[in-house]
Amino acid sequence: MSGAWAEALRGLRGRRGRTLLTASGIALAAAMLSTAAIVAYSLQTGFDRSATRAGLPDVIARFDEQPLSRVAAKIRALPGLAAATFRYEVTNIPLGVPGHEARNGVVEVIGPGRRGYAILAGRDLGVAPGEAVVEQGVARAWGIRPGATLGVQALGPVRVAGISESPDNVAFPLAAPRIYITRQSAEARFGHEADPVVNSAELWATDPGRLDEILVQARATSYGIRGLRFVTRAGVRILLDEAAGIVIALLVALSAIALLTAAVMLASSARAEVQRRLVGIGLRRALGASRGHVTLAQAAEALLVAAPASALGVLAGALLAQGPTDRLLDILNEAPPGGALALPLLGCFALTCLIPVLASAWPVMRAGRRPPIALIAGLELRSTGSGPRLPLPRPGGTLGLGSRLVSARRVRLASTLTVLGVSVAFILLMLALAAELGELANNPAALGKRYQLTAALPATAAPAVRGLTGVEAAAPRYEVQALDSFSLGETITVIAYPGDHTVFEAPSLASGGRLRGPRQAEVGLGLAQVLGLQVGSTLALQLPSGREARFRVAGVVNSLQHDGRVAYVSAAGLLAAEPQASEQIAIRLRPNANRAAISRGLTALGAAPAAASTAVGTGQALIAALKAILRIVAIVNGLVCLYALIQALVLTARERRSTIAVLRACGAGSGAVRLLLAGAAATVVVPAALAGVLLERLALGPALARLAAGYASLALGAGAGEIAIVLGGFAVFAAIAVLWVARVTSAEPIVGALGG
Amino acid sequence: MTKSVGTGRAARQILRGVDISVEEGELVGVLGRSGSGKSTLLHLLGALDRPDGGEIVLGGERLTGRSDRSLARIRLRRIGFVFQSFQLLAECSGEENVLLPTRLPGAPRGGSGRARALIGELGIEPVAGRSPHELSGGEQQRFAIARALVNDPVLVLADEPTGNLDTTAAADVLRLLREMTGRGRAVVMVTHEPEIAAAADRVLEMADGRLG
Repeated sequence: MSGAWAEALRGLRGRRGRTLLTASGIALAAAMLSTAAIVAYSLQTGFDRSATRAGLPDVIARFDEQPLSRVAAKIRALPGLAAATFRYEVTNIPLGVPGHEARNGVVEVIGPGRRGYAILAGRDLGVAPGEAVVEQGVARAWGIRPGATLGVQALGPVRVAGISESPDNVAFPLAAPRIYITRQSAEARFGHEADPVVNSAELWATDPGRLDEILVQARATSYGIRGLRFVTRAGVRILLDEAAGIVIALLVALSAIALLTAAVMLASSARAEVQRRLVGIGLRRALGASRGHVTLAQAAEALLVAAPASALGVLAGALLAQGPTDRLLDILNEAPPGGALALPLLGCFALTCLIPVLASAWPVMRAGRRPPIALIAGLELRSTGSGPRLPLPRPGGTLGLGSRLVSARRVRLASTLTVLGVSVAFILLMLALAAELGELANNPAALGKRYQLTAALPATAAPAVRGLTGVEAAAPRYEVQALDSFSLGETITVIAYPGDHTVFEAPSLASGGRLRGPRQAEVGLGLAQVLGLQVGSTLALQLPSGREARFRVAGVVNSLQHDGRVAYVSAAGLLAAEPQASEQIAIRLRPNANRAAISRGLTALGAAPAAASTAVGTGQALIAALKAILRIVAIVNGLVCLYALIQALVLTARERRSTIAVLRACGAGSGAVRLLLAGAAATVVVPAALAGVLLERLALGPALARLAAGYASLALGAGAGEIAIVLGGFAVFAAIAVLWVARVTSAEPIVGALGG
Repeated sequence: MTKSVGTGRAARQILRGVDISVEEGELVGVLGRSGSGKSTLLHLLGALDRPDGGEIVLGGERLTGRSDRSLARIRLRRIGFVFQSFQLLAECSGEENVLLPTRLPGAPRGGSGRARALIGELGIEPVAGRSPHELSGGEQQRFAIARALVNDPVLVLADEPTGNLDTTAAADVLRLLREMTGRGRAVVMVTHEPEIAAAADRVLEMADGRLG
């Protein structure tokens, strides 16, 4: 065994240039794999980690305000309950620090017992009044540290005792800013109450596996508690996943593609290296080395290169991905994996060591079965030249010759094409996804919205708004939050217009048709899937007034608004059941309308206009973090492509050094060598790019769009811009690879190469 | 000319002051044992390598001190090479091998016509479309000779041109080399076989890096 290691070390010392090239490839593959692994693992396990750290309750029950004694009596009677705490959640409270403020703050007045959040900095709330714990998203965005003073309307200034994290909701600014105060703090300000009111309860089960029994019992005994809805820990997880669900699912799926790409690239590189050295292997066999010895020596050599390269690559990938992933986890209120990442990274390291070792040892073991003389004679190397010719045109000229040289190694050509093709598709997918995210974040039209402005004016103001110059259409837009009558936990956004709503909002139809009357509704795909609705089904809604309204589903639409949990109905149908539905005027502008003039007109009518909201209007930070991750994955993948190209050209140039030397002896200068290599590069790049584009547009894009978001159809087919960027990048990479390899090849003495 | 290989204590002098002059229309044979430096001499004459000392003049044009690019152009237009192991490209047919130098950037015009004419003259037209591995040794060397001549060089350099051929094919190749000189070309052929060298107009013997 020690002989094999010694031989491996000697071999590596003698081939420093090639060793470095191989090591670069392994490092790149390891970087790509570890980037994907970190993102996928962090996001997949983030919720469970933070839920455990925070001691998240198994069930959160929300209800209309009730005296604590009344709710506590019912809840404490539930079977299998380990603990319960009660809160009073107050919303739309203005709060802020100097330089930052929000009018939609949430103050959670918490009682004694478990808290359901983790303290990240500072300490938890004590008995002293006038203290608050601030949710980490707010603390990060506003630069709040323990000891700071926070202004809270009605409460006055409170001292920040600690910074908390709770995965029961996404963080500010995706969600409203949230703080926690003790009941003592509230009572110190507003006076003592013998039986305070509460509107939520957090329940911990003795056996979370038997949660269903608690829920059934709770529903049965909830008589008299209005507005009751339950959210389980699993439900919270689903809700949170939906905040970034599209991208999380895609990144998890794409890690599998990264693994495939890395495996193909490493295996092809290792195989090519062994193929090139078969003559030497034959010589050693002829001199008496056993098959096992040459195989071991090859495996040892591969391991000596792979281990440090893989370690470096994994480290680089970790450094690249860690920052944006942690930012994303912060936004989702999820805990970074920390030390738990060691195992998946170790897996990446092992994999990127194992693949080159196996890919090197396997062909040597196979070659070892042949007579040594066959290897010395290079039969393996020449066999490709005498094989059946492909029925392809045989291009002439120096470019054509380059193409033929690279095509002579069919297995390598196929594996390089696979790596590059998959990589092109992968990069295109990343870019398409980033573009789609940008579209969702910035363009209301991506949600099917055709209006640009809204104004908080009564419905009666619609004719006056329509009369403003530059306004194409204006109509009252009603929106209420309702619950499904059969599954009270599901909240639904109900939107209504008088007349044809598609003038203002026209999400595309997935099935059925548009609504035609006050008793019909169009529902979002997300809602249809959650409630099992289809065209002809009945949608029963519990409205805020307590009344129920029923609609027949006329069509299912692709809507990303509120995760597709949306229903469009006619204004007449909604107002009949909910006369107090909130209203505003939706305004559609003419092309090139003067927004400033319209804004002035609307202000004169009594309300300043607001821009139509986008899918992630408050989620710019999330989008930025996701885009950073996508860009890093795409960049690493692009570097892998550059490496694969250089590797293909270097191997071709080295194997065919005598051919190139003959050409140079015949008068080919460095320009002709560049032309030759350009032909070789084009043979690899052009079909790979075409295959990659087709793969992304026809297979990966549609498949991942389906996988990512069942509740809405996303256009993940790369556009002309993305394709142009990727193809342009490939052309630049090909030029870099050609120039570099041509320079190295032309510097080699012709006489030395003629013998090889 | 002088030429050494290696550096420091491993340095070894291959050519120790070689002086050679070849006239137009002359076939010169350089005879020597293996390791005598005859191939090195051929490489220097063909601008494939650079001498450590001395100078090389081709048709009044000094080759020493020129850039790689300029030397490549001279090789393309004025020098032809015939190698012992033919060095035909396996991916190209015999005819395509002959056409290779004509398709390089900077090659003189009319290469295709000259290639067809040469293939006809050398009697290899019937097998011109075959791949090298489908040709006999003699046929391969004819294609190699045609490739060396296709850009109409003034100097043809042949390194053991009959080394891989049987007696009949070797005689055939010698005849072709002789015919080349008839068109005003200078031909330098190196060999270790005295009977092959004897076919030359003038035979120079090389031993220990010196021409005798």
